[in-house]
Amino acid sequence: MVIKQINNRIKVVLLIIFVISMILIIKVFYIEVFSYQKLHKLANDLWSRNLPITADRGLIMDRNGKVLAGNITKTTLVLIPNQIKNKEEVTKNLARILDVSYDEMKKHVFKNTSIERVHPDGRRLDFTVADQINSLNYDGVYLLKESVRNYPYNNLLSHVLGFTGIDNQGLSGLELLYDDYLKGVDGSIKYYSDGKGARLTHPEVYNEPVNGMNLYLTIDIDIQASIERELDNVIAKYNPEHALIIVEDPNTGEILGMASRPNFNPNYYQNYKSEVINRNLPIWMTFEPGSTFKIITLAAAIEEGKVNLFEDHYYDTGSIRVANAKIKCWKPGGHGYESFLNVVENSCNPGFVVLGERLGKETLFRYINAFGFGSKTNIDLNGEEDGILFNLDKVGPVELATTAFGQGISVTPIQQINAVSAVINGGNLLKPYVIKMVVDPVSNNILYENKKTLIKDHIISENTSKLVKFALESVVANGTGRNAYLENYRVGGKTGTAQKVENGHYLYGNYILSFMGFMPADKPEVVVYVAIDNPKGVIQYGGTVSAPVAKNVLQDIASILKMDKDISGMPKVYNWYESKYVILPDVTGLSKDEALKKLKGFSISYVGSGSSIINQNPVGNSYVLEGSNVKLMLN
Amino acid sequence: MKEKQLIIFSFLSLSIIGLVMIYSSSYIWALYKYNNQYKFLFNQLIFFILGLFLLLIVYKMDLNIIKRYSNHLLILAIILLGLVLIPGVGIVRNGSRSWFGIASFGIQPSELAKLALIIYTAKYLSLNYSVMKNIKKGLIPILIVIFLFFGLIMLEPDFGSGFILVASIIGMLFIGNTRLSFFTYSALFGMLGISGLVLVAPYRMARIISFLNPWSDPLGTGFQIIQSLYAIGPGGLFGQGFMNSIQKHFYLPEPQTDFIFAIIAEEFGFVGILVIVSLFFIIFYAAMRIAFKEHDLFKKYLVFGLAFNIIFQAFLNLGVVIGLLPVTGVTLPFISYGGSSLIISILEIGLILNISCDLK
Repeated sequence: MVIKQINNRIKVVLLIIFVISMILIIKVFYIEVFSYQKLHKLANDLWSRNLPITADRGLIMDRNGKVLAGNITKTTLVLIPNQIKNKEEVTKNLARILDVSYDEMKKHVFKNTSIERVHPDGRRLDFTVADQINSLNYDGVYLLKESVRNYPYNNLLSHVLGFTGIDNQGLSGLELLYDDYLKGVDGSIKYYSDGKGARLTHPEVYNEPVNGMNLYLTIDIDIQASIERELDNVIAKYNPEHALIIVEDPNTGEILGMASRPNFNPNYYQNYKSEVINRNLPIWMTFEPGSTFKIITLAAAIEEGKVNLFEDHYYDTGSIRVANAKIKCWKPGGHGYESFLNVVENSCNPGFVVLGERLGKETLFRYINAFGFGSKTNIDLNGEEDGILFNLDKVGPVELATTAFGQGISVTPIQQINAVSAVINGGNLLKPYVIKMVVDPVSNNILYENKKTLIKDHIISENTSKLVKFALESVVANGTGRNAYLENYRVGGKTGTAQKVENGHYLYGNYILSFMGFMPADKPEVVVYVAIDNPKGVIQYGGTVSAPVAKNVLQDIASILKMDKDISGMPKVYNWYESKYVILPDVTGLSKDEALKKLKGFSISYVGSGSSIINQNPVGNSYVLEGSNVKLMLN
Repeated sequence: MKEKQLIIFSFLSLSIIGLVMIYSSSYIWALYKYNNQYKFLFNQLIFFILGLFLLLIVYKMDLNIIKRYSNHLLILAIILLGLVLIPGVGIVRNGSRSWFGIASFGIQPSELAKLALIIYTAKYLSLNYSVMKNIKKGLIPILIVIFLFFGLIMLEPDFGSGFILVASIIGMLFIGNTRLSFFTYSALFGMLGISGLVLVAPYRMARIISFLNPWSDPLGTGFQIIQSLYAIGPGGLFGQGFMNSIQKHFYLPEPQTDFIFAIIAEEFGFVGILVIVSLFFIIFYAAMRIAFKEHDLFKKYLVFGLAFNIIFQAFLNLGVVIGLLPVTGVTLPFISYGGSSLIISILEIGLILNISCDLK
């Protein structure tokens, strides 16, 4: 009886113990299987010291893959104070090699921390310095790879590219705007250490850094180099307050080049004032555009049927009365009797006032808005301004008149070039952009690609666009833009001489001289906008200062983009003091006599002694300087 | 005899695993503290061999002698427990005055007291089985003895040893022809008491449940549990491999003692833990079969009390190490480093094996 009761109780205890064993096993299973990830990570954080390895930032490249922002590898000094044995000696030697005071270095070496980055004295070390430290072979002193941003072309494209800070983080420009793509993910070397900080023999774990994504721009580095060079020349020659050049592809909205002065060297950004760094003038500066704005008025007037360039005429007396104001033409005495094509060629202000009056304020401002003025273009850069238009309710006859020739409204250069692009590409306003695509450097997958973005189509008709292009080619061949005439290529363009406003008053003798040029004039592939703010020591006309700069740029672009020569455009009308260019006939295949007849007026030299011409230099059917030397190769 | 072989196999396995794991978990501490990586292993090995000799003696002994002298043994235990409290005689280690220092070894009288009380209780229950249902005549006298022991041990203070001692005797009373209602009432009484204590000082509640979230005080009360979990968790299913524990590198303090189970879990993973728990359960299961078949009441109670003591101590240790119970400072029998604990555990096995010889 007693035995039985005891045995029953023993069974109960056995059962309870069995249940408890199961609970213990299940709990251990839970810890080792379900909590494994969490505990493993926490324990690893406890056991390991992560020595950081910076990722390479993504490259920024031009449209052809030339690197504009790259990386160079330097070394960074990292200490694990617990592993350093002779701290005084280490402090003394590191201080000597890095050329800092003993006390400064002591702060790092004696710091009570698991891992110490010697900032800033131990950052971005050259290999020679790193080698000296390495040769000491101290425990707890680590030299790690550090990737440092490098801009191989220095000042080139500085405002667009921006720059990065000491920790390789994007601080301005594209570096800031696309930092998430560019920065990549830093890696590390994980060393295991014991509870006292000494290094364990467990193999270290290498977490490879993931390099940033590469950025391809729409910029062409050769075109950019050309405009940078021209701006440098402008600065040297005229010492203006500001100067800028933009090159855009009018058919896509791609920006091929963008530069301004003053600029900076992103490798040494600390040496510049923040205004210089932060103001990307082509998208930030606002000013009254002056006569280049007449392109908009002209396009609107033709589209609305308010003018026939060839039939309609106007007599310019040198001024025009609007309401109670007298608006003067830039030419004292006026241009006299002229067709409206002449009005455009001469950039005659009273003529454009008439066009403005014919359009009326509603219509003119409708076009101005349609071409994107008064609002941001939303180009993929930061720091863009809006520009300022008259409030339509407050536009009286005088405001309408001045707006028609580009005074009294305020625009940004990017708005101006983008609007003109729309005029000459057949009437479609596009979004300008500088990022072509973002590419993964490992897989070469395109993560993001910018395409042509239409903002507003058919603002003007194809035909109107053609007429405007014709008129603007004529401006360069016969009118105020003749300094931009490029032999063998067809160039269209418009000068601008805008008076600057300060505190509500026009400044005397202080102008922004601009030129808007495009090429080829019949089927434009590029538009170039040059604006120079208050050049010194020169007659302040856009035609004399900015047009030659645009011409140089266009000439470079013609060879960079390998544009075909075209002599079918309007011939230039020469002044008596200018050297003339004439078409050199093609004489290859002709006999010597026939060739001589055709080449009247040229000085000729021969190579060889045959009777028929097999080659000539320069090649035929191109403009050459009148009377220049022609080499003929005989068979 | 099946039970005997099972017990011998399991206890030897556990002891050998213990020796190996004491070396694996302690050599870094040993090297750091004593400049001798085998220090703890050698000490434990000496006690193990000594234990085996004692086991043979106990195994061959006539248990009637033990039964006869159990009162003397009990008195000796009380004297030792009293002596150890005297400063200068008892040595303080880890905050409790619970050791006699002999040469570089320490002896814990509470371990001996535990064994003595189990033997005494077995005798008491076997002699008084007819009055055990009577609380006054049967239970009160033995409870007085238990609380005398518990009181003396708590004066050291060593809550872990005291708790195991009380739990082992309660376990014996449970099977000792007592009324179930007694346990129900005392459980209720205990809960009321705890509730009262918590109501008087609510911080006690936070203390009691703080072990459930060791991260609430990661550098204080939670420290050992967190370090233990950092060992067990990364062990995973199959462990980091023998000798590969990282936590023993000065992260888990004294990894060869109370928390050695965590290092086993780190090096051998869930599979290793399954083996350890199974071996303990096999010992208990085999001992219960012996108790089941034994007809002599003294031996029946004794074999139950000894096995219950071993498994209870083992599970209490595991519960602490895996964070199910608050930290109490209890060693894992056969495995944790510690001479007194190992010898007493081996003696207990010797007594169980002795009783197993009765089975035909």
